[in-house]
Amino acid sequence: MSVGDVPILSIIIFLPLVGALVVAILPSAYTRPAALAFALLTWVASLLLLLGYLPGRPGFQYEEVASWIPLFGIQYKVGVDGLSAAMVVLTTTLTWICILASFKPIQNRIKEYMIAFLVLEVGMVGVFLALDLFLFYIFWEIVLVPMYLIIGIWGGANRIYATVKFVLYTLVGSLLMLVAILATAFAFQSATGSWDGAFDFVRLREFAASPTGGFSDVLQLGAFLAFFLAFAIKVPMFPFHTWLPDAHTEAPTAGSVILAGVLLKLGGYGFIRFALPLFPDAAQTLAPAIIVLSLIAIIYGAIVALVQPDLKRLVAYSSVSHMGFVTLGIFVFNEQGTQGAILQMVNHGLITGALFLLVGVIYERTHDRTIAKMSGLAGRTPVYAAIFGFFVFASGGLPGLSGFVGEFLALVGTFAVSPAAAAIAALVMILGAGYLLYMFGRIVFGELSDFLAGLGDHLTDIEPVEILTLVPLATLVVIFGVQPGLLLELVQGTVDATVEAAAGGTAIAIGGEVIALIGGLVLLGVLARIGWALVHGESATGPASATAEGGAAH
Amino acid sequence: MTFEDLTTIAPLILAVLSAAAVLIVDLIWPGRSPLAIATALLTLGATAAVTIVVGQSPSTAFGGAYTVDALTSFLDVLFIAIVVLTIMFAPDYLLPRSLPVAEFAIVLIFAMCGAMLIAGSADLLLLFLGLELMVLPGYLLAGFHKSDSYSTEGAIKYFLLGAFSSAIFLFGLAFVWGLTGTTRVDGVAEALSAIIAGDAPLSPGLAMGLAFLTTGVAFKIAAVPFHYWTPDAYQGSPTPITGYLSVGPKIGAFALILRLFVEALGPLSDVWLPVIVILSAITMTLGNLVALTQDNVKRMLAYSSIAHTGYMLVGLAAYAGGQMDGLEGLLYYGAAYTFMNLGAFAVIAALQKRTGVTSSLGTFAGLGRKEPLLGILMALFLLSLTGIPPTAGFFAKATVIVAAVEAGGALTVLAVIAVLNAAAAAFYYLRIIVYMYMRDPESDAPALRHGALMWGGLAAATTMTLLLGLLPSALLEIVTDAAKAIATIP
Repeated sequence: MSVGDVPILSIIIFLPLVGALVVAILPSAYTRPAALAFALLTWVASLLLLLGYLPGRPGFQYEEVASWIPLFGIQYKVGVDGLSAAMVVLTTTLTWICILASFKPIQNRIKEYMIAFLVLEVGMVGVFLALDLFLFYIFWEIVLVPMYLIIGIWGGANRIYATVKFVLYTLVGSLLMLVAILATAFAFQSATGSWDGAFDFVRLREFAASPTGGFSDVLQLGAFLAFFLAFAIKVPMFPFHTWLPDAHTEAPTAGSVILAGVLLKLGGYGFIRFALPLFPDAAQTLAPAIIVLSLIAIIYGAIVALVQPDLKRLVAYSSVSHMGFVTLGIFVFNEQGTQGAILQMVNHGLITGALFLLVGVIYERTHDRTIAKMSGLAGRTPVYAAIFGFFVFASGGLPGLSGFVGEFLALVGTFAVSPAAAAIAALVMILGAGYLLYMFGRIVFGELSDFLAGLGDHLTDIEPVEILTLVPLATLVVIFGVQPGLLLELVQGTVDATVEAAAGGTAIAIGGEVIALIGGLVLLGVLARIGWALVHGESATGPASATAEGGAAH
Repeated sequence: MTFEDLTTIAPLILAVLSAAAVLIVDLIWPGRSPLAIATALLTLGATAAVTIVVGQSPSTAFGGAYTVDALTSFLDVLFIAIVVLTIMFAPDYLLPRSLPVAEFAIVLIFAMCGAMLIAGSADLLLLFLGLELMVLPGYLLAGFHKSDSYSTEGAIKYFLLGAFSSAIFLFGLAFVWGLTGTTRVDGVAEALSAIIAGDAPLSPGLAMGLAFLTTGVAFKIAAVPFHYWTPDAYQGSPTPITGYLSVGPKIGAFALILRLFVEALGPLSDVWLPVIVILSAITMTLGNLVALTQDNVKRMLAYSSIAHTGYMLVGLAAYAGGQMDGLEGLLYYGAAYTFMNLGAFAVIAALQKRTGVTSSLGTFAGLGRKEPLLGILMALFLLSLTGIPPTAGFFAKATVIVAAVEAGGALTVLAVIAVLNAAAAAFYYLRIIVYMYMRDPESDAPALRHGALMWGGLAAATTMTLLLGLLPSALLEIVTDAAKAIATIP
């Protein structure tokens, strides 16, 4: 199927790994160019994939299959559809941008940093391309380790607290997902009498959709809840979002960009790719609750963003709000909603990624992110202010820029299901514009603040390299804003398949089992919270001593 | 005794000869530790080769008291690997402290003979003999650093509780023998099947016997609430010995469980299943919770090894719940745990080459910068212990969990408890990584030079940790055969 039978998907997945090895071996002087070169090569490979991808054809393309653990029917199986193609290109684009953007800020242990970033890319791309649930889980966990190191080694003063919180939250969700994956595969094995294809997503999806087959109600609910927890923590949905502001605030700039740009999308991708098609009945049953949670996330994120004194925290909470539109769009189960969710995923990656880069630019010069200390940037750094303004408007949902399209489509989809929900979400868009413009107005306009004036010549305007990292993002924001059809055409196949799968589901009657499962989940959440509070008491020594070393990291 | 008997027990004979050879070499050339180590490694290599050859064809010896099947040879090779790795890791720690290397190797090999005897026992008396032969050298080893008060304290606690539990275990064996009239494993299983099939419910005597046996074994595998000896014994012992104690006697005791509970007491599995489920749940939960609060890495890993006992018991419970995969998972876990845990202890031992270095968390501060290679290996072992793919620890956890999920019911809950525990465990494993990579070194002492043996052993442990995670098929086939040798369910 592929051009000249080149295993292009494996090349995209493992090229960064080769890069990591090369960076590890080469002398330190070549670390930066080598890392960038491999990130760019991967990017080019992913663009070739995009060019070669045929949007009209259903199913997965460029599939590669190899037996891996035959005893359990586990395969190395990768394939691409419109959604994964879009997410892979988003990942490879943001990765080279991040590596380029790290050249100056990261002066400490550069080699390890670049290796971590390249390994991170392996995991992220792998998640988007894996078609075997076991393989998917492995890539999902591989993402965790480099991100843990990136926040923990190169982060801010409270980095150890933030990174441990990030890992523990993610791990609780993903390990339960592992149990769900194994249970699903075993259910398939029991039904068909063979482990053959038990982890194969395509086979499982067929099984779930077949009129006679499908997974039992209890399995669907249990497995869906486990998948839901893993994905909801990643997205992050209210009330599983509390790791996000800490992780974002403490991560180095590029870490925040990747976190917002790609890692949060893993959750949305997981919902669309796995949770919906495999467990449609459970998805239908729980959709109302998830819609409510999404609305709370949209409102809550916006309100909390409004009162943040820290630039990065503000952008982080705006992510919670914006990602609420993704889950909202997915769980209304119609074409516009799903289209909106996917568009919002891509656009949020571009725009919020850019916003974090911009916050990083100002932090490089001021070593401070307090909004109250800044004003009058327009006079001293006009180019920076202009670019910042562009992305602020994009994030606020200005029509003509891409941020608008996704939220609009998600709202249209929601309106078809529940006009009230759509109305609430639409009102919050105003709130969103409010906190962004308020923040923008305070730091850009007015007189130069004493704090900024005190920096003297350190406060330079944005540099060409920094602009270079933002130009591709800005271009895409304009293109997708004016012509969202390009992206929609690419993902239409995925949208159709997802909507069809969800429509095939019928809500499970709420009985004792449902209540028991959900009650169990809530109880688990409470226990986890208590557990976290207990160990947090102990890890409080982490941040304290980290502060003392904080200087070394910068 | 026939010639066939001799070939069947050839691995055991060679193992004893190996210890004897080291003993003689040490007598003739005292204090020449490289020579003693070379002798030990060569003879152990030969033993492993013979074990594999003999294991090709199942056979029995001494009228069925000793049996060689796929399980025996799998476990034997694992025991030899444990001892070989321990001997490779030890000199860097022992020599700077003027502790005798040759005697260490001899005692260790004798302990290995006991473990191998357990693995091939088809008779209750032989099982007990093997158990004692395995644990007695362990007491010696724990107190090997006799001028160190921690070492002596740990050894005394280990010895007293160990002797106590052996007595309880033996008492339980007596009950089983009294009720079934035989000490032969298959005979016991038959007699118990008949008892269960009859109208008579579980008689008080049998219940007592079962309770004593379970308690005795729970002591040996350090399952909660019979784990109290572990932290002190582990912390006090010289580090390479702690590494050995955390895997050798544990896997040996699991071999005992396989021969005794799975084979002989298999018919009673409905009775002991709930006990194992509860033991497993509280063992991993308590082990992990207490490990969270430890600041001494050896003690932390001691509690973590308690938790790993709990994960392995999940596999046993899944088997009792009717899933063959449970045994496979247990065996796979044993192998994976061996390499990752020995590797982690080896790194600690390597750091303690400089005498006076403690095993507190501070020792690891800045290790990633000071000794990059050692830091990366330690991180790999810790990630594997956490269960992060693509490492051995991850696949091992997946195998026991899949078996528990297959068994369904209460065991699904056990699987969920296991993964939540794995998440909690991540906290303390990652803490060590935090110290290695996110803190500055506490002292300016220059990096140490580690011996070739240490690096060789670490390379082997690393290779296995990665291999068992990336390409699990080969070992999966071996453990499947091994499990089939004793499983009574299809």
